[in-house]
Amino acid sequence: MTITKVQVQQAWTIARIEMRRAFLSKRGLWVYLLALFPAVAFFGHGLQMKFMEERWSRNGLTQARVVDSFTKGEKVDEILKRAPNPSFDHEWTNRREDEGDRDDKDRKTQPEEPQRRRAISYYDGQRVIDLRFTNGVLVEKHVRFFRDPTDDRRVFAVIFQFFYLRLAIFFGCLGIFMNLFRGEMLDKTLHFWFLTPVRREVLLAGKYLAGLVASTVIFGGGALLGYAAMLWPNTGVDAQAFIAAAGWSHAFWYAAAATLGCLGYGSVFLAAGLLLKNPIIPAAVILLWESINNFLPAALQKLSVLYYLQSLCPESALIDEQQPLLRLLLAPAAPASKSLAVLGLVLVTALVLWAASRAVTRIEINYSTE
Amino acid sequence: MAIYKRGYERYRGPLNGHWSRLLVLPRFAWQRLFQQRLVLVLMIASLIWPLLCGLFIYLSNRLDLLPSIPGDIKNMLNINGKFFLIFMNTQAVFSVMLAALAGPGLIAPDLSNNALPLYFSRPLTRLDYVVARMTTLVGLLSLVTWLPGLLLFWMQSGMAGWDWFTKYWYLGVAVFCGFAVWILVVSLVALACSAYVKWRIVAGGLVLGFFFILTGVAQMVNAVLRVDWGSLLNPTRSMYILWSAMLGEEPPPGPGVWACVAMLTAMAVILGLILERKLRAVEVIS
Amino acid sequence: MKGTEVIFEDVSKFYGEVLGVNKVTLHIPPGITSLVGPNGSGKTTLMNLMTGLIHPGRGSITVLGLSPRDPEQLMRVTGYATQFDSAPRWATGMEFVSTGLTLYGYSPTEARDRAWQALEQVGLTEAAGRKVAGYSKGMRQRVRLAQAIAHDPQVLVLDEPLNGLDPLVRAETISLFRRYAAEGRHVILSSHVLQEVDLISDQVILIANGMIVAEGEIRGVRDEMSEHPSQFIIRCRDASRIASLLFCEDHVTEIKMNDDRLGLLVLTRNREEFSRALTRIALAGHVIDGVIPSDESVDALYEYLIGGGRA
Repeated sequence: MTITKVQVQQAWTIARIEMRRAFLSKRGLWVYLLALFPAVAFFGHGLQMKFMEERWSRNGLTQARVVDSFTKGEKVDEILKRAPNPSFDHEWTNRREDEGDRDDKDRKTQPEEPQRRRAISYYDGQRVIDLRFTNGVLVEKHVRFFRDPTDDRRVFAVIFQFFYLRLAIFFGCLGIFMNLFRGEMLDKTLHFWFLTPVRREVLLAGKYLAGLVASTVIFGGGALLGYAAMLWPNTGVDAQAFIAAAGWSHAFWYAAAATLGCLGYGSVFLAAGLLLKNPIIPAAVILLWESINNFLPAALQKLSVLYYLQSLCPESALIDEQQPLLRLLLAPAAPASKSLAVLGLVLVTALVLWAASRAVTRIEINYSTE
Repeated sequence: MAIYKRGYERYRGPLNGHWSRLLVLPRFAWQRLFQQRLVLVLMIASLIWPLLCGLFIYLSNRLDLLPSIPGDIKNMLNINGKFFLIFMNTQAVFSVMLAALAGPGLIAPDLSNNALPLYFSRPLTRLDYVVARMTTLVGLLSLVTWLPGLLLFWMQSGMAGWDWFTKYWYLGVAVFCGFAVWILVVSLVALACSAYVKWRIVAGGLVLGFFFILTGVAQMVNAVLRVDWGSLLNPTRSMYILWSAMLGEEPPPGPGVWACVAMLTAMAVILGLILERKLRAVEVIS
Repeated sequence: MKGTEVIFEDVSKFYGEVLGVNKVTLHIPPGITSLVGPNGSGKTTLMNLMTGLIHPGRGSITVLGLSPRDPEQLMRVTGYATQFDSAPRWATGMEFVSTGLTLYGYSPTEARDRAWQALEQVGLTEAAGRKVAGYSKGMRQRVRLAQAIAHDPQVLVLDEPLNGLDPLVRAETISLFRRYAAEGRHVILSSHVLQEVDLISDQVILIANGMIVAEGEIRGVRDEMSEHPSQFIIRCRDASRIASLLFCEDHVTEIKMNDDRLGLLVLTRNREEFSRALTRIALAGHVIDGVIPSDESVDALYEYLIGGGRA
């Protein structure tokens, strides 16, 4: 089959019409919520950091060597003498037993002795040092970096792979691409397209293009916004060095993974919408397949969109804490090279689209069975 | 030409009782639901775990049948709050799947076929309609939640004796009340999704997506903001915390019980508002 | 060579185990052709088959020599107003018609001009800016018709096109069909309103249980039905005398006299013999004011062929 200029124009016309539906449909607003939620969360986190930094700095910074010199057992007066301007200072009397004694059933029955507790925090410009005093003696010292770009990047990697790729893009593409054909069948409007002088394959191409552009803009844009929102509050030298060295490359690969995710999942859900009356059941099966993928033999692992997408991600995402329901979704796959991942995704997409183009020529309008 | 003025009045004749009118809808809905093979299969699958739990209760009360089991393992065969918490957690997953399968078919077809005017032109209010639809789900989900839960409780009470019952009676109450709240939430989610998207099959996906995505969103909030209140956004987690408290078990770290109750209430109100907005006899095209 | 007919060759279509149409062979010439048959008889299936919305399980279909599997060519010469009472939620009447036209290669301005003309033809310009989803049933019927005619097709396929139209619009629509037919185009429609079919059709296709029962001009079809006596109403002054003369003819099976004794209903097995007999009676000096065939209508054909012959 040769592609004519008219067919290309028709495909673009269809794509433009469908894009309006994909971008502006009221029913599709939830897709924006899914795509932009990480950006909103990181932006909120950035605002929180700015606000906290201002609060911590209000009483001035304490030198790092001073806060490092605090040791357990020191009296509160000695510490305040060396560092008289804490960022936070709160004192109270505790009538309950210590947290560490909660399991000690015998002590619960003994009369409680009131304890004078005091919490003091210092800020040295990079770290927050939390000190806990009991009856005027330092009993606990916690040091945490106020800004931790490495940890932020780790969190972003986790969110991108476990929320964005597995849930947001998965369900977003499910909504966008299934709507293209199956949605029109449910609305009983697909026949209008079939009654235009357009080859079914061209119709498929136009609709797929519309879905791809819409999902790429929404999810690729969402990924970039999220990444920018993650980096935004990190203004330190280390963070700037990271942005200069690898920041743009990471942003590119996250956007690429999101785009290729839309490409792959889009083709799968478009085909599912054409081939099956109830695409939700296969969608659940695909979700399960993608989740158990890494337990399968290597050859089968490569039949998953996630396998290639995760290989494109610039940072690995290993998390310790997992919820039972989420654990079902968390299944790291063996990585492939980036070029192989891109090629693999494009090949899988081409294969699925070819199957979809065969299906679309056979499809019949029979709304009564929908 | 003769002109006949006619004044139309609502029907003032005898009516059946309110509940008998209302229960017509669930009656037919249940009939239809149990004709679906997938619903039946899932329903049977949902009852496997209660059967295993029943077996566990039997064995834990007949340890003499298992003389070769070491003593420390015997000590683990306790029927307590933890046991019922695990039971409830598992059945909750099945109830979500059942609701995703059965719930969307209750309202979406009525909306897509413009059938609501037909319902509301009969002695049936919008609230009646929602209650009737919810009754369908409550009935269905009860079969896999509190009914087997209470059966297990009575079985344990029967086998372990009066002492056990007087010590752990609150477990039965917790199973019933905990599942009642859960069924309410799940039913509202299923009905709201069904009313929101109008397409039965998409609504099914939305019900599953609701629970999966909110789980992800909750994790994300916790991870990004380094907090634990994000778990409130996850209805399954909130419910787990609530159940833990009701069953007298140590709640997992995270938000408190009352925060979870408040969040679940807010969720129910929002879902109720969606239903209120979507279930109208007329649609205005702007 | 490009064909001039819509041709079905031994076409069968089954929906699973349910029969759609069976072994249909048809040659539909230009003009107004009505598909007549009871609900579920296969009228819509035939229309969907010729426009490629469904595909036959057996046999072949060509529309002016084009295959329905080639919408790129077919839909340039064909317009189809389906009976699906649905429209995209986002579209106004104008958008509904003009959007499709852009796929024919028309520029946006041309598409809007053509859409406007089509909407004008169906009397819907005032509502052109309103959402189709908010239209009444009749308006939706008209906007679908506008969409079907907007690209000036050679073959116009219309499923129940007169449903829901008020009398004025109905008359205008019928005149539109006639204009199309007069230009040598195909207008293929289905209808339940047999009087209208009778009024506007050049030929009819009677279909029942997925099979073609009869096809052709109404008169021709009636002539072929020898098992049902033809009915004629004779208006005359001396009805009883003429009745006695006609009773002498072998081919006359039944005569009923009007209460006013100025008319007869005659049932005959041989139309030619009947015609000759009437000529003889007239030449003998009996006054005959008029002879009207009373069962040369789609209504009567329907009853004879599909409804069990109770006419």
